[in-house]
Formats: sequence, structure tokens, C-alpha cells
Amino acid sequence: MTSFMLLSLLIFIPLVGSAIVGFGFAKSYDRSVAITAVGLQVLLLAFIASAFQVGEGFQFQESADWIHLSLGNLGHFSSRYALGMDGLSLPLVLLTGIISFIALWNSKEIKEKTAAYYGLVLLLNASLMGCFLAQDMFLFYVFFEFMLLPMYFLIGIWGGPRRQYASLKFFIYTLVGSLFILIVMLGLSMAYIDPYETALLNGWVRAGQNFDLDALLSVQKAVSAGEIPRNLLVHSFDISALSDVNNCLPGTIFTPNSGWLLAGMSGREWGFWFMFIGFAIKLPLVPLHTWLPDAHVEAPTPISVILAGVLLKIGAYGWLRMTIPFFFQEALQHANILAILGALSIIYGAYNALAMKDLKKLVAYSSVSHMGFVLLGIAAFNVEGWQGAIFQLVSHGILSALLFLMVGAIYTRTGDRDMDSYSGLAQLMPRFTLISGIAIFASLGLPGFSGFIGEFFSLMGSFTSVYVQPGVAIFGGLGILLGAGYLLWTFQKVYLGPLYLRDSSWNLADLTTLESISMYSLGICGILLGIFPGSLFRISEAFVLQWINHIS
Amino acid sequence: MGLNVHFLGLVLLPWIAGLFLSIVPTRFSKFFSIFLACISGFLALTFLSRVHGSDFSVAYSWFSIGPKSILASFWMNTSAQVLLALIHFVAICVQIFSASYLAHEPKIRRYYIYLHLFVGSMTLLVLTDQTWIFYGAWELVGACSYLLICFWHQKPEAIRAAKKAFLLNRLGDIGLLFGLIGLSMHFQTDQFSAMNTGLYGPAPFLVGLAILLGGIGKSAQFPLMSWLPDAMEGPTPASALIHAATMVAAGVYVGIRIFPLTSEEVHLVMGGIGAISLLAGGVLALFQSDIKKALAYSTISQLGLMWMGMGSDVSLMHLWTHGIFKAGLFLTAGYVIHSVHSQDVNQMGGLRKGLPIPALAYAIFGAGMMGLPLTSGFYSKENMAGYLWTSVDNSSYALYYEGLLLALALGMVLTAWYISRQFYLIFLGKSRAEKTPDSAGTFDLGLILPIGALAIGSFAFVLGNPFFAYFDFPTFEPPSAWLIWTGISWVLGIGLTWLTRGWVPKENVQFWPNFWPNSFQYVLMKSRNAYWIETRIYDRAVNGIARLQVIMAHLSAWVDTWVVDGILVGLTSWLSEALGRGISRWQSGKLASYWVLVFITFGLFLLFSLLI
Repeated sequence: MTSFMLLSLLIFIPLVGSAIVGFGFAKSYDRSVAITAVGLQVLLLAFIASAFQVGEGFQFQESADWIHLSLGNLGHFSSRYALGMDGLSLPLVLLTGIISFIALWNSKEIKEKTAAYYGLVLLLNASLMGCFLAQDMFLFYVFFEFMLLPMYFLIGIWGGPRRQYASLKFFIYTLVGSLFILIVMLGLSMAYIDPYETALLNGWVRAGQNFDLDALLSVQKAVSAGEIPRNLLVHSFDISALSDVNNCLPGTIFTPNSGWLLAGMSGREWGFWFMFIGFAIKLPLVPLHTWLPDAHVEAPTPISVILAGVLLKIGAYGWLRMTIPFFFQEALQHANILAILGALSIIYGAYNALAMKDLKKLVAYSSVSHMGFVLLGIAAFNVEGWQGAIFQLVSHGILSALLFLMVGAIYTRTGDRDMDSYSGLAQLMPRFTLISGIAIFASLGLPGFSGFIGEFFSLMGSFTSVYVQPGVAIFGGLGILLGAGYLLWTFQKVYLGPLYLRDSSWNLADLTTLESISMYSLGICGILLGIFPGSLFRISEAFVLQWINHIS
Repeated sequence: MGLNVHFLGLVLLPWIAGLFLSIVPTRFSKFFSIFLACISGFLALTFLSRVHGSDFSVAYSWFSIGPKSILASFWMNTSAQVLLALIHFVAICVQIFSASYLAHEPKIRRYYIYLHLFVGSMTLLVLTDQTWIFYGAWELVGACSYLLICFWHQKPEAIRAAKKAFLLNRLGDIGLLFGLIGLSMHFQTDQFSAMNTGLYGPAPFLVGLAILLGGIGKSAQFPLMSWLPDAMEGPTPASALIHAATMVAAGVYVGIRIFPLTSEEVHLVMGGIGAISLLAGGVLALFQSDIKKALAYSTISQLGLMWMGMGSDVSLMHLWTHGIFKAGLFLTAGYVIHSVHSQDVNQMGGLRKGLPIPALAYAIFGAGMMGLPLTSGFYSKENMAGYLWTSVDNSSYALYYEGLLLALALGMVLTAWYISRQFYLIFLGKSRAEKTPDSAGTFDLGLILPIGALAIGSFAFVLGNPFFAYFDFPTFEPPSAWLIWTGISWVLGIGLTWLTRGWVPKENVQFWPNFWPNSFQYVLMKSRNAYWIETRIYDRAVNGIARLQVIMAHLSAWVDTWVVDGILVGLTSWLSEALGRGISRWQSGKLASYWVLVFITFGLFLLFSLLI
């Protein structure tokens, strides 16, 4: 138990920065203040990562009372301000810090209302951090919802010509998704009890006393026997309490084998699909993805970087952290359907990317395709698949950020994203071509780069899985062929061939030092992860094994 | 130096060389590159002599995934040693040759970096024991091939060819990927050396087939053969290394790796594909006006021959001999192109006078390809026939093997025909060139030296028989009737050349040239359909739902204003008017009456709550 509140600092540093910048205290130094805030956060992250104990569960935990209601016969409801970090959240939190830093670093193109812009980006960063750190689902939901606000304004104010349409679309889509999650969240917290807090309320355990497995089982037994009066039950949103199906009260629609059926599906199945859909919108999964290309096309480059690099990961994080742990059996039963959805996303996204002429849309659809591998890996329900999926999350975070920076670098020079408008850039911008080549080959899954490890283990996991038909995995595997198709096509059209510019007045100077540093450092991250994948696998292993061992 | 350190140096040096070259000024890159390549070669040679033909294996822990630990393991068996020797021998020749051949190329440093990266990936591919590293290296050599094909990236043909090569390879790679996964599932291990057929039986037929699909892509076998002739857009010396001697042979190498792990049915498929490629490549080689493309088809045909060996020792033997003489043929063709400034056979003829040394070298390499006595090609080909012949006696698929022998017999005639014909069209007869070669007769040591080394290596007594004896290759003797047929095939081939000497192809004929481009186009067209669905159906539906909501909102707003509000407002205004009239009596302006009102209200509220 650390008393330093390290994780809270991760959230509050950008929040304070946001207040300073947003209210105009930073004057003309808003960019520097914002970068400093996130820089501090990254330093703190580096410290936390070095202190992180690999193989242990949640660490650096913080917990404080937040909301506690006594609702008479409905029992007590409690939501805590609880933060914690484990092997699943650490890589994603690191990713958030680094990608936000790079996005701010590359925000030079933003010239108007900079104070508001930097303030909102910091706010976005804080809510992203909160999402990955929250251990209480209500707290998670608050951060999850709050994220919409800065994103909506960032796209809606600093976006391209169709920014209003795109930002509204993004907003509505995500709101619908969170509605699905909200329904299940409320239902779950009514149906489940928090064993520790119930024991505390009933005086079976004193505060600070060790709450061991026997105590837990005795509480669960008492609950299932109906021995505790209803007004002495504590319902909470604690994620670990909701992850244990034995905490479910008898006779609710979420009780296993309750006999409650709606359209042939049990309450738990409905709960699973609702939460799955809610997070699938965020991923985004075909066919719930149409907000993504529009949002990406209209968003300014740094926001696209954050959107693709971090925001999409919350969808998969929600599955891994909540949806699947809450409804493990249901997820396992439908693993094959999940894999089919994943494979469909891979192929459909790749097909669309192949048809694109707009570079940003192409990268957006490639995101859809690459995130399909994540679901394919998750559906495998084995170590390879899950590790591959988590690796793919991080790898895609790095590589898609790099790809968007690449498109941004062209766009700031030409104001044109149509790939027919230029070719042969290799002759003008050799440094840019090198890093773009790295980004493209890494994204198409060339060994030695991080993209390969993620795709490879996701595919391998799903192919060897007993829950997924091999045909589905092979179908998804065709995605790596299509991926090579659209990425090489892009490389060939834009960088190779004879030099051509639609507008000869364009000044295509090579990358500035600022751009070079951010792009090359991301590229090096991609290569290092590709050569030493063990560094990431080691961190996430405890989390993966915990749930994979749950199967047996 | 310890054996393990020596080994690590051998594996890592090409990568280090590649990195090092990227910081060396372009002027010195040639020197450093050749120097480092020689050191790599030296390391390889000394290592081979240290292990002296016996197997060497070493494993490093790389990372672990769950309970499974993934080792970076290496297994240097006979086939790996043969390939390692071949890679380095050809690579050094190509490095030296390129220095003169690409003397005026401004981007030569990049070219040399690619060469080193290729050698590094190829070394990894050959030496690794780990199926996943094997797959990784397999993809990497493909990427290096891509980079070298589009080395002159201003040429549209080059980038088109590069993309085609990469995509067709990727198509095969998907097969290889799932095949390797299946292989490691079947044998419960991901180390080639630990795969135990005694315990688990040979791998299932489908797994073998999937792996062969990978090999088909890499070796440009039927039906994925068309990328190799196109790949000749790259620099000629690079073609010699990658698209003639080593990388394309990786497809044979994977066959060699799985030969002991798979059943005979898989071997038969491999042999059948090889036979088709042998004949198809041989026929198409006759119809090329571009000498590099003709050589590319002959490579396909010779790789088909190796595939007919089904991954047994005879495949490996032919892989070795072919690697040397084919690299030599490419370098010699490069010399010719360098002098004539054309790849078109219509601009050649009668070059024996101007280019006597290349003519001699070409004759030696061609003899190796035909399998004339004294060349090492003779032995590898006779062994191939011997292998098939003994299989006829021992296998239940005797008829199939007889069919393969028939194909081989035909293939030998074709080989003799196309290579002697090419020699005739380039070096003999009268010149068809519009202008005489300007640099004819010049003597460039940097070009001659590597060709000479390869030519000497093509003789059986140099790198043929002693080499086979060193590695203890088994020999398969064909019956004497076959030897007679071999003799007849040379006569037939050369005779056909003489008969057709007046026919010079005007263009490069391709079999169904548009099949793969059209397939790509088809996929692209389908992708447009997907986008059509995306924008016309999905997005419209989504927007439609949103619009419906807006219409509903307007409707409800209308109802709200005119119906609900109308009633409510009417009602309340009437009510408030009535009340107001009543209450205004209380509003007498006195504070006290307000207080009375407050207390009454409060009292009523208290009463209400008490009653409840």
C-alpha cells in the first residue's frame, strides 16, 4: 500500500495542467505547460513501471470512499474511488502517456484557440488514464463518459470541413455504446453484492483486517442461502467483486441458470452481448465502425494520433477487464461467433482500405482491420491468443500513431490527402521515406517489427484454439495478404515511381527535426518490441494466466 | 574463439554490417561492404571447417509466452551447411561484381545495405531450428527481395514487379504460416530438430500441402511462377544472388526440412509441381527476347528439377550445383548487358569476338546446366534420375515415378535446347546489333574475377564430387539406359538449336500474363464494392436512423407545442388566472400575511409527513 497516491497523480497532473492552460493562466506558454505536464506524467510512469512487480496482481492500489447510499430494502450501494494497476493496464497506461506526449509534441499545426486546445487534450489524457486505472466500474464509467466531451470539442472545433457531422456522429455512436454498458452496469450492481463491504457492514470483519478466501466463501454462502437481510447487503461497482459470479444474489436475471429467458437468451447472455456491443463500438468492430473513418478524416493529426493510438484500445480493454471476466462462461460459449466477428472486421476493414484514395481514411480502415486481430486473439481463449491480442493493442497504438503522423506530415505540406495527387516522394524526402517505409512494413506485419508479433500470436492462438474453428482463423489470416496489398500499394503510389506533384508550388521539404524525433522514436519502439516481445509478454502474463486458468 | 561466439558472430555480422554501412560515407561503402562480406564468408568457412560436417546446434532463450518458452534455437545440419556455404560464396562474388557493375550508381550504399540485410535474413532462415524464426526469416528475405527489385524505384515496371513478387510470396506465406502452426501442433514442439515422426507419425497431408504452398511462392513454382521473370527489373547481380542462387532455393530448402516429417503423398505433390514447372519453365525460356527473363524461366525450370527431388538429398545436391552455375550465368549475362547496353537478344549475336571471356564462361555454366560430363551439374542430374529410378522399384506409386522420369527426360532435352540456343543467340552467328558494343574487349577484373571463381567452382572436381564426398551424400546410380538417353538429349537439344537458329524471339512471351494482375484488379474491384456497401448502405442506414430520430424529435416537438403544451398552457393559464385572482387578495403588501402563508404551508407539510 503506497501512501504516495502515485496513480492519482497520473490523473491529477494533467488535470491540473488542463486547469492552468484551459483558464488561460499559461498565456503564450500553453504549449510548453501542456508538454511539461505530460512529460512529468511520463517520467512518473517510468518510475511506476520500474517499481512494478511483474507477476503480481494489482499494485499501487488506492481506495477511498466516494459514494455510499443506503436505500432501505434495496440494500446499500457503494462506489469507491479505487485505482489500481496490473499487467493489463500498465502497457496501456504507458502507451497513453507516450502517445499523448507525441501528439502534443506534434501539435504545432494548431494555431487557433491554443489554450482551449491544449487544455482539452490534457483533459482527454486524464480521463484516458482514469479509464485504464479505475478499479470501480462506476468510476470507470465516469471517466469513460467524460472522455467524450474533450474529444467532441477537439474534433468539432479544430477539425476539417465536415467536423460538425463527424464529431456529432462520434458523440452519438459512443453515447449509444455507453448506454448499453450503463444498463448492464446498473443491473449487475443490483444483482451482485460486494462480499468484503457486506462483511464489513455486518461486522464480520473489521476495517483493515485481512479478508481471506474462507471469509469470502462464508459470505458468499450466506448470500446464496439468503441469510443476510436485504437491507444489510452492500452492492458495489467493484470490478473484482463483479467478476466473481458467486457474488450474484439468488433469483435475479443475472443469476446463472435463473431460467429467465428473453428471445431465447438468458439474462447473462443479454448482459454479455450488451456490454460486448457497448465496447465494440469503441474498438470499433464491423459493423459498428462507421464513425471512425469520419472522425479520423476530420480530426486534426494529433487528435487522430490519440484516437487511433489510445482511444480505440479502451474497447478491447473493456472486454478484457470487464465484459469477459463478468460473463466468462457466456463469452466462452460464443467464442466462435466472436472469432467470426473479428475475422470479418479484419477482412472488411482491409477491403475498404484497399478501395481508399484518401490516405487518412486508408489508415482509419487499416485500424479497423488491425483491431479485428485483437478480437480474433481474444476469442481464442488461450495464452497465445490473449497475449497476442494485448500485444497487438500496444503495437497498433504505436504503429497507427506513426502512420497518422506520416499522413499528417504530407498533409501539412500539401493540404491534400488524395494519394493520386503526388508520387515519387522518395526523391524529395528521403528521411521521411525511410520512416514511412518502416511504418508501412511494420504495419503489414513484417517480422522484426511489433506488428508481426501481435498478428502472428493472435492468428496462432485462434488457429490452435479449441473454441474457434480453424477455418475462421484461416479466413482472418487472409487479412495479412490484403494488408500487404493496400500498404504496399500506398507505398508504391506515394513514395516510389517518377516524381509527380499535382500542384508544383508545394514545398515538400524533408522532415523537420521535431517531426523526425517523434516519428523515429515511435519507429524504434516498434522495432524494439518486435525483437524483444518478451518485455511486454512478461508484464501481461499474470493477467492472462489468471483468466486462462479460469477455464479449467 | 569459442564455438558459440563464433556462431553468434556468423549470424549477427551481416546485420551489423548493414547497420554499419548506413553510417559510412557512400564513397567508402563499396570497400567496407566487400570487406565485411569477406569477413562473413571467412567466419562461415572457418565455422564449417570447425564443425567438420557434423551437426551443430545451440539455443538461446528468447521470450516466453505463458508456460511455453520460445527459444532462439539454431540447428546446423548438412543441408544448412551446404546452403550457408552457397550463400556466402555467391554473396562474395556478387559483392565484388557489383562494385564494377554499379560503379556509377549514386545510391550504391543503399544497395549494399540491402545485400547485407538479405544475407543476414537468409543465414537466419537456413540456420534456425525454430519454426517461428524460420517463418520470420522467410518473410524478411521476401522483403529484401522487394527492396532490391524496386531498387530503381523511379521505374514503374520495377515497382510493379516488386509488388507482384511480394504479394505472390505473401499468398504462399499464408499457407506456410498455417502449415507451420499445424506442424508444431502435430509434433507438440516448435523445434524442427525435435519433431519426432516415430512418436507422432508423419505430419498430416494438409499440413504438408500448406507448407508446400509457401515453397511454391518462394521458388516461383507453378502456379505462382510469374513473379520471377518480372523480378528481373532489379539490378542483375542482385538477381544472381537472390532470384537465382539462394532465396528462390529457400522454397526447396523448406521441402528439405519437412522431407523426413511428411508422408510420401506430400513428396509426390512436390515432385508433380516440380515436373510441371520444369517443363513449363523450359518451354517459356525458349520464347524470351530478354536474356535475363530467359534465365529467370530457366531458374524456374531448374527449381522444378529440385522440387522433383522432393526434398531428398538429391534436391540439395542440385540446389548446390545449380546455385553456382546459375549465379555464374546471371553475372555473365550482366557482363554482356554491361557491354552491349541492352538485354534484348535482338541486339546481340556474334559476341564471341568482342567478349571471348564471357563467352567461355557462359559455355562452362551452360554445360553445367545441360549436365555435360566434367561439370558438377552432370552428377546432380544423374543422381536425380537415379533417385526417381530407385523409387520406381520401392514405391507403391511406381507409375507416378515413371511419369516423373518421363518429364525429366523431356526436361533434359528442353534444358539442352534453351541454354545452347541462348548461347548461340548471344555469342555465335552474326551480330544483330544496330551499333557495335562500345566497351567490347575491355577487360574489367572486378567483373571477370567473380565470374572466373564461379566458373572454376562449376567443375565437378572442384566443388562437385569432393564437396559431396565431404558431406557424405548418398549416390543414386541410374541404369545405363538412362545414360544413353542423357547423351541423346544433349544431341537433340543442340540439334534443335541448330535447326531453330534463324528464329529470334521478338518479345517476351508469358503464359497467361494477365492472370495475377487481373486477380489483383478483381480484388481491388471487390474492395470498391465493399466501400460501396460501406457508404451507400451502412452509412446511409446510420444516417437514416439519425435522421429518423430528428424527424421524430420534430414531430414530438410539434405535438409538445400544439397538443401537450396547448392543453397544459391553456389549462394552467386559466388556473393561474383564477388562482391569481384569489391569491392577490392575500397580497395586501403586508409582510405578516406572507408569514402566515409560510407557516400554514409548512404546517400542512408536517401534517402530511406525519400521517405518512
